[in-house]
Parts: sequence; structure tokens; C-alpha cells
Amino acid sequence: MLSAVAVRAQAQPPAGPFNAVVPAASQSAREVLVQVRPAVIQIKSFFGSNTAQASHGTGFAVKEGGVFITNYHVVAEKVQYPGKYRLEYRTAEGQTGAIAVLAIDVRHDLALVRAADYAPVPLRLQTESEIKGDRAYSVGFPLDVGLTITEGISNGKVDGSFDPRIHYSGAINAGMSGGPALNAAAEVIGVNVSGYRFEQLVSFLVPTAHVLALSNRSLNGQAGIELKKEVAAQLHAHSADLLAAFDGAMKTQAVAGYMLPDKIAPFVNCSAMGSPETDSPVQMVQVLCDAKAGLYVQQGLYSGSLKYAHYGLTTDRLDAWRFANRLSALTAAVGRFGLLRHVGPYACDDRVVGLKGFDANLLVCARRFRKLEGLYDFTVRVSSVNSAKQGYASHLDIYGVAFEPGMRFIRRYVEAMEWRP
Amino acid sequence: MSVERVVVEWLDGHGRVQWRERLALGEGRRSFTIGRSVEADVTLDDPHAAALHATVEIADDGRLLASDLGSANGLIVCGKRWRNTRGLELADNTLQIGRTRLQLRTVHERLAPERPYELPASALARGPGWIAAIAGLACVLQLVYATWLSAPRDFAVSAVSLASVVLAVAAGWVGLWGLLSRVMQGEWRWLRHGAICLGVFAAFIAVRAMVEVGGFVLALPPPGNGHIWLGAAALAGALFLHLTHASPLPARRAALIACGIPALLAAGSHWFQAHDQVRDVNHIDARMRIYPPALRLRAADKLDDYFNKANALRERANKRLADALADEPGSDGEN
Repeated sequence: MLSAVAVRAQAQPPAGPFNAVVPAASQSAREVLVQVRPAVIQIKSFFGSNTAQASHGTGFAVKEGGVFITNYHVVAEKVQYPGKYRLEYRTAEGQTGAIAVLAIDVRHDLALVRAADYAPVPLRLQTESEIKGDRAYSVGFPLDVGLTITEGISNGKVDGSFDPRIHYSGAINAGMSGGPALNAAAEVIGVNVSGYRFEQLVSFLVPTAHVLALSNRSLNGQAGIELKKEVAAQLHAHSADLLAAFDGAMKTQAVAGYMLPDKIAPFVNCSAMGSPETDSPVQMVQVLCDAKAGLYVQQGLYSGSLKYAHYGLTTDRLDAWRFANRLSALTAAVGRFGLLRHVGPYACDDRVVGLKGFDANLLVCARRFRKLEGLYDFTVRVSSVNSAKQGYASHLDIYGVAFEPGMRFIRRYVEAMEWRP
Repeated sequence: MSVERVVVEWLDGHGRVQWRERLALGEGRRSFTIGRSVEADVTLDDPHAAALHATVEIADDGRLLASDLGSANGLIVCGKRWRNTRGLELADNTLQIGRTRLQLRTVHERLAPERPYELPASALARGPGWIAAIAGLACVLQLVYATWLSAPRDFAVSAVSLASVVLAVAAGWVGLWGLLSRVMQGEWRWLRHGAICLGVFAAFIAVRAMVEVGGFVLALPPPGNGHIWLGAAALAGALFLHLTHASPLPARRAALIACGIPALLAAGSHWFQAHDQVRDVNHIDARMRIYPPALRLRAADKLDDYFNKANALRERANKRLADALADEPGSDGEN
């Protein structure tokens, strides 16, 4: 997901009437809404036989015969627990019926579904790149307050994103996930997927090309077990692509006398800061990098991403004992929070190893995914043990990758480190 | 005719003599009276005693025979109350009247042979003050070192705060054992318990620090739950010393209690942690401690060796998941 605080249909409870504020639409927006209204449905998820919904999102018709597209995360619980969840649709006019999942594309957060007894005319898909600054609209059922259209600007493809996304400067709220984003001609330019909740109108769309690719797949439908296997296979493919993107020489930067991995791919976001106080006994520089390539699998479980951080320390005032103690405090190993229903406990290996020109303490911890066969989380800590005045602690966390490629990447990451005072 | 001499000793709850009176019976007289009245030969200051409560007669063979003079509370001999009884033999020469315990000694008593005098074997008994002072100093030094190591902005305040907290907890612990000593042995024995508490604590943190530094120096694997057992050993040592100095328990029984309680606590803690960690998917049982590089004695492993053994890590991760699932009652069954 691109968003740190993604707008997720599932996470939202039904909204109260105080949230039912729909902004006034322009003349153009009104015309777009009238055109797409029959093709847009609300998709609700229910746990067991409850009549109260567990979550809700939006979908729109892409093919004849009642075939709709929505986000994978709208139907994820149904895919993972087909016996415990059921899906229903509701049109803007109040017609309801059952929904079946036909195919999924976890990487692009898309799912193809079929609605029983409802087959509107599909929306037209516009696959050509949008020009930055074009008027755009987003349609969906935000916060369960009814069919809504928001008006904004398409800002074209997001720069530096591992998976392609379109930047939409307009409101996409929880419940609109899976709805269509349209141009002024009421053609679909993308699928609503996420947004930054605490920023101003920074939202993201899945490009239409992926909708087209998914809708051209076989529409025979898959049994629940096959869909789950499909999820695992797609996660494996995604993580393999992610790690392959880091192949080649690993770019490094100087941190406290050591060369440490830098921005190792264009889509990795890095930030750096340091301690400005000159009277501090220890000067610290920290570099934080995040690939932000993780895929939503189901509630509480993301897969296929990595992030790393370096904490470099230098001192001219502390003795070796106190400096080592400061460095120790930065090596605490805490993995990404997980649930036993998703992952197993960590197993670790901790040793002092020789790197380029220096020795370092290397801790590698791995835990296996419970149901997604062959995927592991890794938590790695590297800390120098060679200098009494300079040192670093490096944290690397990799989520949801196969074991061998994961270990190969860890090795390359560690081998890139060098003592160059 | 000779004059019988009797020494009457007042005993406290622990059987120790509080004070004694020497009584010389008149010529030919072989009995004396005990009671609250000044007319009695032995006058008691006990509201539970009658004015003339009992007589004690010294038989020809030296046995002491007590008779109740019709008191309301009677005599207590060998833990049993006797009323209106005459000629009751005092097998251990002790007698309780009301709440007063008396031990009667005559020239007929058999004295145990003289025992050779030896200086106390236990240093705690010989010089607890010195040990307490040295141990306290060791504790304070180690706490000051721990504060210094963390390089706080205000070193003095941090050191005093930490030392105050630790010493306050130690004072509470010593207070409890002192109270137990007072109840069971009649003495507070502050210094002994202080020496035990501070000495064991100082030894514990010193050994723990040595284990950590030694692990770094020799690149040994982390001790895991070893600290729990080290703490249990320290507690066992402290409990044994406290018990033997605070209670009349024999050494073997004190050792049994002192080892049993920490062993149970450590085993429980170990089991709880192991059981809890089987299913804790976020816990990482590894803690990297770094010390000055100059201390390192063992060469680093080669990176190839590390990654050649990666399969073992995968197998352990798989096993941990299998263990967690096996530990889970009625594993999910989702479809």
C-alpha cells in the first residue's frame, strides 16, 4: 500500500448521520454521476449470519453479465475465510444480492466479482496516461452515507513507487475503496484504493491497465482454496520482484566512519537526521529508509516489503565503556508486530562476524508465515564492535519474502558495509 | 544436717534466663513455696498466680516434686496443666505458674561436662558489622558504576537516586528478617541480616556483570534464561543464611527451605516464560551487549560460515511455528 494510514473499507464501522455531508457537485460532476450511477454498487462483507456488516467498499461494472471490479482488500476476508464471511451488494436504488469472487490481483489490490441478478452496462475504461492537471472525479459509498462523487485533479503516475499508482488530488474516504475514478467524459481512469488520512487530499488510484488485465482473465470463478493458493502465489511473485529490484551493486553512504546501504532502489524513500547539540557527549546520525512496497493480505497482515535504519554514533568525550553501552542501547531487536493467526514465533542466530575491515555483531531472526506457505519475516541487527569512538547499529526488517532470497538479500546488505574511517 | 540451696531462674519465651534468685532453705527444710504473696519463698509478679500457689519439695534423691496449693490455674508441667496435684515430678526441672516459667536448680542436678570453647566459625557471627559495611560499599560502588555507564546528564542525582532506591528496598528486606529474628531468637541481629542482604546482592550483580562481559570477551552465545537461575541461586544463598541466623531451624532443614523456594520460583518463571514464548510471535530472545573492543579475545566468524548455516535457522523457525500450533488448543479449523 502506498498509504501509511490507508483508507480501508474494512476498517470502517457504519457511519452516523452526522457524517452525511456530501459536497455540492459541479455541473460536470452531476453529469458524470448520472452516467455512472447504475454501474456502481456498494459491496458489504458480513461475518457469519450477522445482518450487521463487518465492512464495506465499492465496486463498478467492467464487463457484461454482472462482472464488477473492486479492491482486493474489500473482499480479502472472504477470500481468506470463505466459510466465515459472505459478500452482498447494494445498488444506489436499494437492490441487494449475493457477490461471488471470480479472480484477484493482490499486487494491484484488485478483485473481480460477479453480482447475482444485477448486470448494468459496464463503464468505459480509459487506459491512456492521464495528463497532470486534468479534472477527475471519484465515486463511491464513503462511510456508508450513500453514493457520493468527489471532484479533484489527476496528477498522473506517482514518482518512485514500486507498484504503479495514480496520484489523485481529491477526497477518497473509507468505503470508497474499489470505486471508479473518472475523467470528465465519465471514463474510468483508475480504481480508488487509498489515501493519507492526515494529509490534505492526497489519494491514490490503481491504473486502469491492471483492471483490464484482470478482467480479461478466465471468469469461471475459483474455489476458496484455489483463491487462497492464488494469493500465496501472487505474494511470492511480488516479493521475488521486489528483491530482484535490489540486484546489482548496493549503493552505500558514509555514516560515522562506516559505509552503509543507502537508497538502494529508486522507490525506496530515505530520510536522515542527526543530533544538533554540539555539547552532547555522543553525536548521532540516523538514516531511515522504507521501500513501502507492502501488500495488504488481510486484516493485520501485510507482506512483501522492507525497511532499514542506521544509527551512527561518534564521540570524543566518552570512554570505551560508556560508548559501548550507548551503542548497546541501539541494538534492541523488536520485530514487526504480528498475530499468531498469521505468523509463528521468531528463531534467531547471533554471532560476531568479520565484514569489510571490521568486525560486527550480526543477529538474524526469522519467523514463518502460518498459512502463506514459504513466506518469512526477517529482523536483522548489525552493530560494529571494532572502535571505541565510532560505531553504528543497523536495523533491517523484511516482511513476507521467501527464505533463500531473503537470506541472500541480507547477506548482500551486510556485505555492503565497510569500515572507512 | 546440710542447708539446701536452690537457684530459681525466670525464663523468657525462648527458654533463655531473664534473671535468677538464689534461695537458701533453713536447716533441715527441703521444700519452699511459690506464689504472688510476699509470704511465699519465691514471690512472683504474675496476676495469674495465687498468693500461695505451689510448693516444691526436694526429694532425697534430688528429684523435684511440685504440689498445687489449690490454685485456680494449677501448674503447667511439660506443656500440660495439672490442678490440685501433689508430688508432681518436674522431669526437666521447669515449672510454669500463671504466665511465669521457672527453672529450678539444686545441687543435685547433673551438670554436662565442660565444653571446649571455640571462636564462632561463622564470620557473620564474629564480625557482621565489617561484612555489612564492605558489602554495602560494594553495592554502592556497583550502582555508581551502572549509573556512570549510562552517562546521565546529572550523574550525582542519578547515582544517589538509584542507590537510595536499592538501599531502601534492602532496608525493608533486612527489617523483615530482623523482625523474624526478634520473634524467634529474641534478638534483632540487624548487622547480620544487613551483611547477608548486601553481600549476596553485591555478589549477584558482580557475577552477572562478569557473565555478560565474559560472554562478550569470548563471543559466547547469550545465556538465555541463565539470569533467572543465577538470581535463584543468589536468593537461595540469602535465604539459607537469613534462616540459620533468624530461626532455630537446623541447617539441613534451612537448606531445604532455602533451596526449595527459589527453585520453585525459578522453575515457575522458566516454565511460564517458555510457555508464554512458545506462542509469542513478537518476542525476540536475543540481546546484544557491546563492551569495549579491546576486551575481545575470540576472532570473528567468517560471513560464509554464518550464511552456510542459514538452513538451520529456517528449520528452527519452522519448528517454532509447529510448536506454537501444537500448543494451540483446537488449532483454528478455518476453511
